[in-house]
Amino acid sequence: MDIGTIVAGLLTLAILTFLYRDNPIYKMAESLLIGIAIGYILVITWTNSLMSLLFRPLLNEGAVWLLIPLALGLMMFGRLHRRTALLSRIPIGVLIGSGAGVAIPAMLDARTLRQLSATVGPVITTGGVPDVSMLVVLIGVISTLIYFYFSREHVGWWGRTARLGTWFLMVFFGTTFGYTVMSRMSTFIGRMEFVLSDFLRVIN
Amino acid sequence: MSRLEARHWVFLGLFLVVLVSMVLQVDLGVTVSDDSRRMHDYLESLPPGSTLLMSFDLEASSLPEMRPLALAIIRHAVSRGHRIVGVALLAEGTGIGYRLLEQVGREYGKVYGEDYVFLGFKPQYIAAMLSMGESIKQTFPEDYLGRPYDSLPVLRRITNYAQIDGVISLADGSLTTHWIEYAGNQYGVRVSAAVAAAMVTTYDPYLASGQLHAMIGGLRGAAEYEQLIHRGGSGLRGMLAQTTSHVYVIVMILIGNVAFFLGMRKRRAG
Repeated sequence: MDIGTIVAGLLTLAILTFLYRDNPIYKMAESLLIGIAIGYILVITWTNSLMSLLFRPLLNEGAVWLLIPLALGLMMFGRLHRRTALLSRIPIGVLIGSGAGVAIPAMLDARTLRQLSATVGPVITTGGVPDVSMLVVLIGVISTLIYFYFSREHVGWWGRTARLGTWFLMVFFGTTFGYTVMSRMSTFIGRMEFVLSDFLRVIN
Repeated sequence: MSRLEARHWVFLGLFLVVLVSMVLQVDLGVTVSDDSRRMHDYLESLPPGSTLLMSFDLEASSLPEMRPLALAIIRHAVSRGHRIVGVALLAEGTGIGYRLLEQVGREYGKVYGEDYVFLGFKPQYIAAMLSMGESIKQTFPEDYLGRPYDSLPVLRRITNYAQIDGVISLADGSLTTHWIEYAGNQYGVRVSAAVAAAMVTTYDPYLASGQLHAMIGGLRGAAEYEQLIHRGGSGLRGMLAQTTSHVYVIVMILIGNVAFFLGMRKRRAG
């Protein structure tokens, strides 16, 4: 058995000790995990971001225009002192402005227009039979939108429709929660498989 | 032991349920869903030699769940003779992506640089996705191992998404949404996904609207896919544990509710 498997197995057991209660063994494993993850991300970001996108082209290829993003990046550190804090607003403005410019058209198209278009489908099929799933979508969307409309009091038929909307929301939250539980179980099962097969070799 | 609380017994019970299920190693057999079949059929429909861009948009914390999914998809693609260009848009996905591609490459006797390549990590995922739409070479002038773009035969014909037959996002978070928005909608590349189970409901609307071509999710998706490609793995091995642990959780929820209502009745009476 290689040293990596032994360390991974012992650390997995150390993390699992938290199930009993918070303890120094768990804290050590958790700190190690966070430390290694941050160290790894720092190295990867330094190599792939600052070195390959900034310093190497700037110093080796003479890409002087890169001094502009470098200056903007350095301005971000202005936040560290009260007297220079104002400088950081310039790169933040550039970031938000360019980010919004790129994101708004894309999100409007993908998340609003195309989703809207997929929601509005024929409730009667070409064979003249009602399309049950489209009917459910139609009723679900309308009743949920009514629930989120707060400019009118939720009483009478309006209130009853809004309550129907909450049922649709509850089904969605339930499904999401169920999938999340499934995800956590899968992670636990995955670690158990590692411990039982690679580490303890109880199963093949 | 006197300090054990109710939750500890619940955890201990779950541990035993999973332990026994894993040791038993009973093959339950899995009913393949339409979603998994769609993903399978999609890779089958591509002619051998097609190029797939696989994006490892995941972190180490989700690896136990994502690894079986990723392995099943990569194995299928490689066995069909497709070429794979791997990238990572989350830093932690870098080492993971490279190791998974190397593992499957070794299993099938494929050559790095000719049959598959890993380009590594690029920060600012939206900028990276848009930049790849213009030029993959400019975005990744060299691969993860530092070899120049032009020296890798698998990349010789590839300029941007136009020469890519499909993007498969292996994601445990929201990165697939951005692939849909920026690569799919703006550049017309076909986007599919293998995602953690917790993200399935997030992507279902995109699947229904056709913005996402195919999707498989969670350990169950991995098990179904392993069944489809006739190659067992962690997904199929974990299915009994998945089923029994879910039954256990449902039983615990029922017991908890019964105990709560009985307690409430007692409090009212007393």
